[in-house]
Amino acid sequence: MIEISNFSFQYREGATPVVQGIDLAIPDGAFVGITGAAGSGKSTLTYALNGIIPHCYPGDFYGSVVVDGLDTCDVALTDVSRLVGSVCQDVDSQFVTSVVEDEMLYGLENFGVPRDEIEGRLEQALDDMGIADLRDRTITSLSGGQKQKVAIASILALNPRVLVLDEPTAELDPASSRSVFDLLARYAREHGATVVVVEQKIALLSQYADMLVIVDEGRIRFADAPAKVLEHSGELERIGVNCPRSTTLMNRLRAEGLYQGPSVRNVREAREALEEVLA
Amino acid sequence: MIEFKDVHVSYEASAPILKGVNFAIRDGEFVAFVGTNGAGKSTTMRLMNGLLKPDAGQVLIDGVSTAELRTSELARRVGFLFQNPDRQICCTTVREELLFGFRALGQAGAEADARVDAIIEEFGFDPDDDPFLLNRGARQLLALASIVVLAPPVVVLDEPTTGLDYRECEKVMAIIRRIHEQGATVIMVCHDMEVVADYATRCIVMSDGRVVDDAPTFEVLRNRDTLERASLVPPQIVDLSLELGRAIPRLADAPVGSANTVDEMLAAVVEEARGAQDEERSVSA
Repeated sequence: MIEISNFSFQYREGATPVVQGIDLAIPDGAFVGITGAAGSGKSTLTYALNGIIPHCYPGDFYGSVVVDGLDTCDVALTDVSRLVGSVCQDVDSQFVTSVVEDEMLYGLENFGVPRDEIEGRLEQALDDMGIADLRDRTITSLSGGQKQKVAIASILALNPRVLVLDEPTAELDPASSRSVFDLLARYAREHGATVVVVEQKIALLSQYADMLVIVDEGRIRFADAPAKVLEHSGELERIGVNCPRSTTLMNRLRAEGLYQGPSVRNVREAREALEEVLA
Repeated sequence: MIEFKDVHVSYEASAPILKGVNFAIRDGEFVAFVGTNGAGKSTTMRLMNGLLKPDAGQVLIDGVSTAELRTSELARRVGFLFQNPDRQICCTTVREELLFGFRALGQAGAEADARVDAIIEEFGFDPDDDPFLLNRGARQLLALASIVVLAPPVVVLDEPTTGLDYRECEKVMAIIRRIHEQGATVIMVCHDMEVVADYATRCIVMSDGRVVDDAPTFEVLRNRDTLERASLVPPQIVDLSLELGRAIPRLADAPVGSANTVDEMLAAVVEEARGAQDEERSVSA
């Protein structure tokens, strides 16, 4: 369980709080998507979940962030790290070695994973991400998308209870983006883990997330099931969030009086709704 | 004109990246390169501005091999926007950054100053801002502006919208569309199929270091074989149109079965639904 209560944060060098009055409860095993315009405070929220705030970025912290019973202000960053696996927006800043295998081993060895478990975990994570063939490659020879997969694999190998990923598919092709989301959903299901993903790709978030959180100017504007949030397509567009095009189409057909059902989240739901309209 | 003739490239001997790439891009085209990660798209882009030279085969810019052109000569002809703007930005103020290209090309002077002033105004930059303190979207815009200000005849963009929010993406693409309308050849790598569908007129599909399809954009995006072969996901409305054509066969040849945009699909569905209502009314009358 993650409980964020009346959380506000202002970076030391900032003139105003970046996030304000955030209240959010995320149950165990939930898949949560966070989106919003650039600068809305999404990344700051992820820093609060993985303890980077307040442990690395100084500033004014109000309220509380409790992950699995640990108040992130009261425990050391190492304790939060054992619970929360993070993938940064800029994966280059996350790498500490020069070869994929070494990168995977770095976390496993530093977390004290027993020697006889390491090979199995490493292979499993590489296979899950579909990058077993990259094991001996130097990181500098990888494409942006391949690096993103390596960064995710090196965190998955640590089996965290909570996964926090900041734009994990920004440089991935659409098929790889879907397979990463498939994998995250499977990981959440099989490990009872909580997954929190910040993304600009709202179509993906809408399809996979149980809860869609829209952040605008440091505050939570919506936090609900995706279909409920997508009903507000006009307001979302005003705050710089673009709905999936299948959602936009069906919302416009509703305005034309040709569709009365709930907002759709993806092409499959749009097709099912249109089959009825056009039958 | 940019021509690739049987181009081969390897970074590591055991893993060839390009395995015989062939295509020709005419002046004034807007071409998108699509394909999975590691297909060789970014490598193809780097060959166009001479950052890379082929191990075998030829890359020709206006008929001259890049192996024979100096980097400065290539830079005049081909502007290059990197995937990550931080690999491009190197100055301490926005104004210096925009002047950097002119200085590198030995073209600093009154005309360069005037063009930089105009672009600062157009993009709404503060000339004294430190580029490294701008947010990701603003840094991407600055990197793009530093290309646009030089007005190269060819602009190569490696994932110009990655990491941008919806509004920033619209802003960047509006500028790219404008420079295309003014005559520039635009070549971009893009994973966002909605952006590809909205802007590019031709699509070159790469898979495993080879070109596997090369056709007008919607021909490519509606081609199931190509989509499957290159693991592409079509834009949502194209996907919906193909799915509806399959689910209700009579729609395959109707406007619904060929709609590519929200507006086209909306009009097609309205026409289809209202037509059915009229038919019902005339039957009951």
